[in-house]
Amino acid sequence: MSGFIERAKTTCALGGALVTISSLPRAIPVVHASGGCAQTLSAAYNLGGAYKGADYCSGTMTPTSNIIEKNIVFGGEDRLEEQIEHTIKVMDGDLYFVVTGCQVEIIGDDAQSVAGRFKGGKYPVLCASTPGFAGNGFKGYDLVLSTLAADFISPKAKKDKKTVNILGIMPGQDVFCRGNISNIVQLLGKLGIKANSFFGDGETIAKIREYGGAGLNIVFSEKHGLQAAQTFEEKHGMPYITTDLPIGDTGTENFLRKIADPLEIKDVDLETVINEERKYYYSYFQRFLEIYGDIDLQRYAIVSADINYAYPLVSFLSEDLGWIPHLVVINEELDDFSRKKYEKKYKNITSLAKPKLVFEQNTGQLLKHIKESWPQNRNDKYYNALSPAFLIGSSLEAGTAQKVGAGFLPVVFPVTNRAVLNKGYTGYRGALTLAEDIFSALVANR
Amino acid sequence: MAENELTKGLTYNYLGADAAPTREERIQATTAFGGSCCGLKTGMGQGCLKFNSRKFAQGNGCQLTLALGIVRTFQNVVVIIHGPLGCASNNIGLAGFNKTARALKGKPVQDVVWMHTNLDERDVIDGGQQKLRDAVLYAEKEYRPDVIVVGNSCVPGIIGDDIDPLLDELDAQLSARVVPVHCEGFRSKFVASGYDAAYHGLLKKLADPPARYRRAVPNDVGAALLDAGEEYVRNRTVNLLNVGSTSYGDEVELSRLLTALGLKVNVLPLFGHIDEIARMGEAALNISICATHDDYLVGHLKERFGTEYIIDTLPIGIKNTNKWLRAIGKAMRLEKETENLIQLETSQLTEALEPLKAALKNKTVFVGGGETRIFTTAEFYQSLGMRVLGLKPHNFDHFAVPMIEEINDQDAVIDVAPGQPAEEMVILKKLKPDLYVGHGGANGWATKLGLTTTPLYGQSFNYMGYSGAFELARKAARAFQNTNLAKKIAANVALPFRKEWYESNPFDNIKEAQL
Repeated sequence: MSGFIERAKTTCALGGALVTISSLPRAIPVVHASGGCAQTLSAAYNLGGAYKGADYCSGTMTPTSNIIEKNIVFGGEDRLEEQIEHTIKVMDGDLYFVVTGCQVEIIGDDAQSVAGRFKGGKYPVLCASTPGFAGNGFKGYDLVLSTLAADFISPKAKKDKKTVNILGIMPGQDVFCRGNISNIVQLLGKLGIKANSFFGDGETIAKIREYGGAGLNIVFSEKHGLQAAQTFEEKHGMPYITTDLPIGDTGTENFLRKIADPLEIKDVDLETVINEERKYYYSYFQRFLEIYGDIDLQRYAIVSADINYAYPLVSFLSEDLGWIPHLVVINEELDDFSRKKYEKKYKNITSLAKPKLVFEQNTGQLLKHIKESWPQNRNDKYYNALSPAFLIGSSLEAGTAQKVGAGFLPVVFPVTNRAVLNKGYTGYRGALTLAEDIFSALVANR
Repeated sequence: MAENELTKGLTYNYLGADAAPTREERIQATTAFGGSCCGLKTGMGQGCLKFNSRKFAQGNGCQLTLALGIVRTFQNVVVIIHGPLGCASNNIGLAGFNKTARALKGKPVQDVVWMHTNLDERDVIDGGQQKLRDAVLYAEKEYRPDVIVVGNSCVPGIIGDDIDPLLDELDAQLSARVVPVHCEGFRSKFVASGYDAAYHGLLKKLADPPARYRRAVPNDVGAALLDAGEEYVRNRTVNLLNVGSTSYGDEVELSRLLTALGLKVNVLPLFGHIDEIARMGEAALNISICATHDDYLVGHLKERFGTEYIIDTLPIGIKNTNKWLRAIGKAMRLEKETENLIQLETSQLTEALEPLKAALKNKTVFVGGGETRIFTTAEFYQSLGMRVLGLKPHNFDHFAVPMIEEINDQDAVIDVAPGQPAEEMVILKKLKPDLYVGHGGANGWATKLGLTTTPLYGQSFNYMGYSGAFELARKAARAFQNTNLAKKIAANVALPFRKEWYESNPFDNIKEAQL
């Protein structure tokens, strides 16, 4: 049983579903819930996602049935039908996607069958049950993509082995979602692989409908997007692999070697791309060496992040940047089996210092974990302090970084003191951007 | 003191109930009307607009968001949302902003701390009392807050989780005060119900009776003098009631004016400490700047403790600032001082505004947002020679009825609509105002339409009082100096509407109440 959470760095299933739908090209969400859900949840992502904004149709624009007490007593299905009918008349979309909130699920409205009344119409109308109590934001992402896989994407008998679908990189919740996707699509393109991404540049609803022809799903997460991948497997006979977000030389090489086999990439092509990209990477990466060496920019690294970002970040800091991986606080829960599997990754950290791993969902506990990770100064004349340190987390950790005197870069949702447009941290090129941001934070006061 | 026109006939003794009555129950109001200024006035007079609704609707907001928006600003508070993870998750986007606002107002800088009881599928069946208890105890242990506010959301509201006995028990046991706020979103389509919900909790748990004591013993002249001195200060101490959208600049300006009248000003209750909030009943006068926001609070304090209050207009623009000050001057018997102040301020400001007027003259404006703010803002721009083409109040209630008169063109368009940018954008596309003044969340859409915008409120700007009026004029004049962004955006970024919608009458979307 889950407990309370202090300052959760996510929203609920409905929130995750909403940000996912509104990030699909020209898709229109229709929220069957009380009047505030759509706005509150959109505000979390539209502001907290480094000001990603309302895009085509979210925020105050979100069509909502605005259920009130009367509907709780008498049911809200008629109201939903009216809302869907008029949404199609008013809003110009290629896909209409009904999602449900807690109120209507508790009273037992059958939104699925109401949405079904629009089947065969000019525009596709999908529906997913996404009450907040069903889970967190990631859950909503999975529910939406699973629904697309099950109810929308056309089955294809013939698969293209050189085409993949990208899963696990969630809009909003990954502040750098579109930039991260774009970097991966370009990288795979160099190996002759076409990548479908749902949310990336140039995608359309019509293209998404054809995603059933891909040969493989790559899930960039050990947890999120798995449900969607399993639905693709069941409905479309499409296998999947999971991998970490590739960040930096080490991370990206591992990623490329991992997908080479299932995608039947020739060794010579693989080595060529790795060598070219690596050459490019180090031609820029070496530029900060002078200041790094002159003012000693090696840091004790503390990372407070979700499942998707924690390992790739600490791997980049340790394996590429040569920092001391000290503490990793993972703001999510995993079942025992997945946790053991997940913890194994960290054995790949090659520095002498190995990071301490903590699973902790309460944001305010980070300070305590940092203090527990290091002997306290008991008024010793000579004290080997946890310094200089650098914290990568979300904007919610700014105060903690200040309290422990650490440098700080918010990378993980929510990010409210930076603005992100097309920036991404994945691949070789994205890691250069990450390095730029880290070093910019370190020299900001010069 | 004479009876207040705006609150005549209203009563405020609801503390016997767990929750405040909703605005639906308490006052005459509507969230759906389309027509003209004079049409709205007639409609409100007939009282039939309350049950209007929409065929196509967009999110109309949640009272929980507004209720918790008040309490999360309190000093040394932990806010617990009893519900699934999504409710009030806008905190995620606003926590940093709130922290900065604290710093701006010279308050101790603290992280905004909130928690969710994280209700899941099982709790929907079994109830979430244990999680709530655990959450309150965690808050107490980890933060030693002065107050723990629990906002009750839809899920416990529907399944009937009875939180009050539990919170009463914890309130008695813990060092923190534990305050329940009943703000379940589905209960009201008027988000302003959230203000009442928050103040209901505050009044129930935090407001103390005014402490009045005399230290003087008979014939002790020194002590009697001290008492007289204290009495003097108390009789001139007023509470200036702030709201979520008052900036620090606004608080400084309004305090300056009140101080100039010889008053001692406390700015409350947002960003206040509970010890200050507890003593709100002691002031000589509670001064509201927004009837929609405050009537439940000040009305109750008057009924319970006899604390006098002013609910009049919102001090934006010259006319309304003057009106607001006169109401205060009258209540404090400082009529002459008030007239002197108004005369001085008005003449200085009028002179300062003169050079800005050329840029604004004959320009057209449309204002959307909270009712009292939009009418006063529109009136001010009108006084500078601009023409008000239309207004879009989020809701409209009897507090704002007298403000309709302030608009010169009684045929100006009014769309009463909480959010609802689809209706608003069609109206704006037809009206094509030179300037759009919008609530948070609305300006981006207007930019996509190609309109020059300026925000209706904001933390870093001053809007109220005389200096605020000058800033408003300056902002509009500045906006007109470069309108490239909106032009470029409109040419390249689409709004999500069908062509047919643009050609339709958006007011056909409103369903008249069927009684």
